[in-house]
Amino acid sequence: MQRIFQIDGEETECWLGHDGSRFVLNTPNGTVACQLDPTGLPGGYTLRAKGVVRELRLAVGPEATFVHMNGRTYEVGRVDPAERLAGSDGGTGDDRLVAPMPGVVVSVAVKPGDTVEEGQPLLVIESMKLETTLTAPRDGVVAEMPFAEGDSFGLKDILAQLAPEEE
Amino acid sequence: MRRIESQIDTNAADYKANYAAMSERLKEFHARQHAARFERPQRDIDRLARQNKLGVRERLKLLLDPGTPFLEFSTLAACREYDGVVPGAAVVTGIGIVQGREVAIHANDASVKGGAWYPHTVKKVVRLLDVALENRLPVVHICDSAGGFLPLQHGVFPDRYLGGRVFRNQVKLSQANIPQIAVVGGHCTAGGAYVPTLSDYNIIIEGTGAIFLGGPPLVKAATGEEVGVQELGGAVMHTSVSGTGDYRAATEQHAFSLAREIVGQWKRTPKTIIETAAYEEPYYDPEELYGIIPKDRKTQFDMREVLARIVDGSRFHEYQPDYGTTMVCGFAHIWGYKVGILANNGVLFNDSSLKAAHFMQLCNQNRTPLVFFQNITGYMVGREYEERGIAKDGAKMLMAQGGSVVPKFTVIANASYGAGNYGMCGRAWDARTLFMWPQAEIGVMGADQAANTMADVKIRQLQREGKELTEEEIAAIREPVLEKYKRDVEAYTSTSELWDDGILDPADTRNALGMSISASLNAPIDDPHYGIFRL
Repeated sequence: MQRIFQIDGEETECWLGHDGSRFVLNTPNGTVACQLDPTGLPGGYTLRAKGVVRELRLAVGPEATFVHMNGRTYEVGRVDPAERLAGSDGGTGDDRLVAPMPGVVVSVAVKPGDTVEEGQPLLVIESMKLETTLTAPRDGVVAEMPFAEGDSFGLKDILAQLAPEEE
Repeated sequence: MRRIESQIDTNAADYKANYAAMSERLKEFHARQHAARFERPQRDIDRLARQNKLGVRERLKLLLDPGTPFLEFSTLAACREYDGVVPGAAVVTGIGIVQGREVAIHANDASVKGGAWYPHTVKKVVRLLDVALENRLPVVHICDSAGGFLPLQHGVFPDRYLGGRVFRNQVKLSQANIPQIAVVGGHCTAGGAYVPTLSDYNIIIEGTGAIFLGGPPLVKAATGEEVGVQELGGAVMHTSVSGTGDYRAATEQHAFSLAREIVGQWKRTPKTIIETAAYEEPYYDPEELYGIIPKDRKTQFDMREVLARIVDGSRFHEYQPDYGTTMVCGFAHIWGYKVGILANNGVLFNDSSLKAAHFMQLCNQNRTPLVFFQNITGYMVGREYEERGIAKDGAKMLMAQGGSVVPKFTVIANASYGAGNYGMCGRAWDARTLFMWPQAEIGVMGADQAANTMADVKIRQLQREGKELTEEEIAAIREPVLEKYKRDVEAYTSTSELWDDGILDPADTRNALGMSISASLNAPIDDPHYGIFRL
């Protein structure tokens, strides 16, 4: 998964290499020797591959390259595999909000029984002169809010508990 | 490098409230900056015209390459001193482009108190020459000063970093083979005479420029000799008789074209090469920073949202994203230059301190300049953390930070309290440039904590004397302390005192950093070496 290209929306994995004398396109189906020479026209090139010679025009943008060939334009998008694969290790949110440090509860926004959405503020805590808003780790129903406004709490105390998810 | 995905909702009520609050602050800031640069009493403007002299801003225009940026330092220096009547501390300093090369500029502003040196003037000039030394930048001095402000001479003259340091730094620059040129567009009297004479090149403008150790009145008082300005130290005498001056210029325009010609023929030393990428504007609009920085300083915000509006393409490769999460570390590019960024997302704990130390070592090893974004209320306190060795881990962070050989740059983006300021490369730690945002605060602790601490000491003292205090009496002790402390920690106090190189509109931060990084590469980067880490 070195590189992902999207040609007109369809994904293909390939990698351009060099064998010492010419470019080679490595694809899951094998390698193809190829050669690209400028023609002198703006964005103009001659492509030679598999014994075929084609005149084409290229326009390179930040996210995609546009290839005009045989009277058609192809959009070749580049997808960063690190970006594509990120987030797939996230897993589901926790049921609990655990105190990241000792502090005091400034305000409580919800009560047990309330339905909340992921990212919704549950309570505001203050510690070391900083107010931090703690939000719901997932959609769900509030089971417990053990601390009230003004209460002190310790490191790793549970500040909010959501009801277990029903399967 | 991947783009940061912003979670900011620009339609949210919080965002809009923050945006409005910051816009209001910036209106005041830009007005104050404009006043410090351009607004002068009419009599001072008339006097300059009578003397046939150009103002300092017009002189800069003649000197600098048209259409190039000028990174001005400490525009609001001394804004809270001398009843506010010495804008910019009567001097303009900064980094500008002359004949395509970066130079440090020190220019007296004769429209303010005749360009006299106040204590803050000296501090600003010494800082500029330190910048020139650290970054190996050639210096252009534009001299037009009435001399030291005598009623405050004790704050101008005697101490290590006062007047003498200006000339000492000039000597060190020369010794380091960094060229200097002085354009004399007014009087250089007494100590001021050494600015052009310690420069490799100087140009005196005929009629207005003069150099002498003692001016005509002082000579008369000392020896009875009666002599005019021109015979005593004018352009003709110095360039043809004494050899104190190198070139004489018929007009200001002539002087600055000569200066440009001279700077243009200086040897160009190749810049230090670091990793670069193609320049890219941030994907997210930098002005969105106004809505991201909370109007209440105590409210936490995600520094990644800030970085997304500063770095090239909003691209950020985060290092150790799941460890010591209150310390955001990672790589990005600014103006194409690769940098290592350290940004606070909360208090510094043991793990976040260790992560910072480790990341800084990494950057030093691969010669990546460091950029610090401060929003730090301190290192975590309490038994649990002391037992884990928070002071020891903080020391490791300081050792790595202070021992860094790569150029460092600091932006005080919000809070800068206590030892967190040290760990995050505060003023004492040799950041090549250090800027503040207008709502930021700097102090040993937050205003409420400080006021309470100071009031508590007073109250206990009174209680020991057997006095019982009412709530009102306690408030009467606490309130004035709180008011004073609040003012003392403000960005305007910091910039007035030159604890920073200026306040920035957050949207200008990217360009200020880009110029700073570019300038820093005039100096080589040493091999990494450190002191002893308390492991």
